[in-house]
Amino acid sequence: MRIGLRTGGALAIQATDLTLAYQQQPVLWDVDLEVPQGVLMAIVGPNGAGKTTLLRAVLGLLQPAAGEVLVFGQPYADQRRRVAYVPQRGSVDWDFPTTALDIVTMGTYGGLGWVRRPGTSERTRAAAALAQVGMESYADRQISQLSGGQQQRIFLARALVQDADVYLMDEPFQGVDATTERAIVELLRALRADGKTVVAVHHDLQTVTEYFDEVTLLNVRRIAGGPVDRVFTEENLRRTYGGRVAGIGGRAVGNDLEPSS
Amino acid sequence: MDVLGGLFVDHTLRTVALGSATLGIVSGALGAFAVLRRQALLGDAMSHAALPGVALAFLLTGSRAPLVLMLGAAIAGWLAAAAIVGVVRTSRVKVDSAMALTLSVFFGAGLVVLTFIQRQPAAGKAGLDKFLFGQAAAMLESDVITMVAVGAVGLFGLLALWKEFKLLSFDPDFAATLGIPTRRVDILLTSLLVIAIVVGLKTVGVVLMSAMVVAPGAAARQWTNRLGVMVTLSACFGAAAGVLGALLSTTAETSTGPTIVLVATGLVVVSLLFAPARGLVWARIRAWRSRRMLALEAVIADLASLAAQHGSNATHPHDIGALNAVRGRAVVERALTELAADGLARQHDTGGWSLTPRGLAEADRLARSRRAPGVAR
Repeated sequence: MRIGLRTGGALAIQATDLTLAYQQQPVLWDVDLEVPQGVLMAIVGPNGAGKTTLLRAVLGLLQPAAGEVLVFGQPYADQRRRVAYVPQRGSVDWDFPTTALDIVTMGTYGGLGWVRRPGTSERTRAAAALAQVGMESYADRQISQLSGGQQQRIFLARALVQDADVYLMDEPFQGVDATTERAIVELLRALRADGKTVVAVHHDLQTVTEYFDEVTLLNVRRIAGGPVDRVFTEENLRRTYGGRVAGIGGRAVGNDLEPSS
Repeated sequence: MDVLGGLFVDHTLRTVALGSATLGIVSGALGAFAVLRRQALLGDAMSHAALPGVALAFLLTGSRAPLVLMLGAAIAGWLAAAAIVGVVRTSRVKVDSAMALTLSVFFGAGLVVLTFIQRQPAAGKAGLDKFLFGQAAAMLESDVITMVAVGAVGLFGLLALWKEFKLLSFDPDFAATLGIPTRRVDILLTSLLVIAIVVGLKTVGVVLMSAMVVAPGAAARQWTNRLGVMVTLSACFGAAAGVLGALLSTTAETSTGPTIVLVATGLVVVSLLFAPARGLVWARIRAWRSRRMLALEAVIADLASLAAQHGSNATHPHDIGALNAVRGRAVVERALTELAADGLARQHDTGGWSLTPRGLAEADRLARSRRAPGVAR
């Protein structure tokens, strides 16, 4: 229904000249991010490269010193409902007294407005999203009793409930088991098949070509960006991580590489 | 009991009970959110910081009307919270230092003003010093009416913005991406906490009021994994601690604040020890049971492997000296006694042990279930 409203060829996300600093230390420097519609894009770079910061700046959670973010050609503030966010799993307290279904229901809060409580229809949608990530039998489970992979799926379900057009995910594969990783990849592909756009911070260089269509290489500055087969080269990785990156053919792992100072 | 009997006839006792129930419900319900948001110390800073507000409100208006003093307390508490946030935002001072600093500056200022008031000859100054440690016996009907009215505003605010407060407490970043103005909602929730504090200030006192904010919530968290249940339970615990503590202090003529806090602490201790899922006592028992089960399984497995070495006669008795050496004599003996009681093992006349046929079957079953699924033998 919303697809008809889309502005012709506008990029899903277009960030220009994003610059952000913590106490004079630049975290993002003049970064452009261009995400075409309907692709799966990985944001890749060493620790401290500003990947999470970039996502948070796009979402307006951080105020950049300079730069602009457009979502489908319009300011983010007007397009908020079309963007869903999957934060890092470790960013919240999983001992919070609530259930898996309740967390997923939080994805419907944006459409409810003030004061109104979620009702049957919201909970039905949340239950459907839980089923989409294969967690329907855990609906009433206290969230601290879920495994890391299950908690990640709960967060994904919460984003699915938002029925957005763009999904921004911060390390969705972090600390999940192989089963969950496969399930998440399937989910991303299903989203792409529906014409949705996904941007994910990703750490595992081995799987970039397999999972994603596009990649942005980031190390405070944007090193390179575009289709994986063109951009994800040994030369570009070396420029991103500094030093040597051995065997991009499949053995390089980003976690082990430190940025050059 | 005299006190309970007196509750129905004695007007003063009834007033005290009603007032302390009100303060307990309000501080319990709103305090539960402070506990979840790790703002217990903020509550402490704000309640201490309320003292100069009370004193100045009296000094400026000359009135001891509960609403006037509560308003002064609320403004001072709110300013203290703003000061803490301001210091953290604009400087490199960390939040714990900012809170300690604000608490002592405001509290010190409050004591200075209080001392100044005490030295004035003016009439009607009496009772202000009760704000330090609280006095339930001094509670008047007008106090209770104000407490109920102000407390109702706090509870109404909590219920109206329940979903926003819940989201803010669990995942503020996600709340912000939904378009919820998290900063304003945060200020609102903190303001409600200020309300919870000022409602109980005269009864419990500024020094210990934070315990009434934290203790019921901390106790309630142990019993449930649902936010709604936790907040309700916290309100009930708060009311129980308030009423019990106030009545005890009135009859025993002790300071009310400390008495209420002791009762609330008792609730916390009982909850930490005995709450079904989280209680330390049950956790200990569970750990002990599982250790015993593992020892039992290990001894079964040991006996089974001894039997396997013996070939044709599986129930041939074995000397358990080797077992004792490996697992420890006490562990093995206890396990063997239990196995024998269950008919899984038996001691032969020679003193040696063997598994019974049922024990062998059990050992086989355990060996299968302990093996990782999908691993072929």
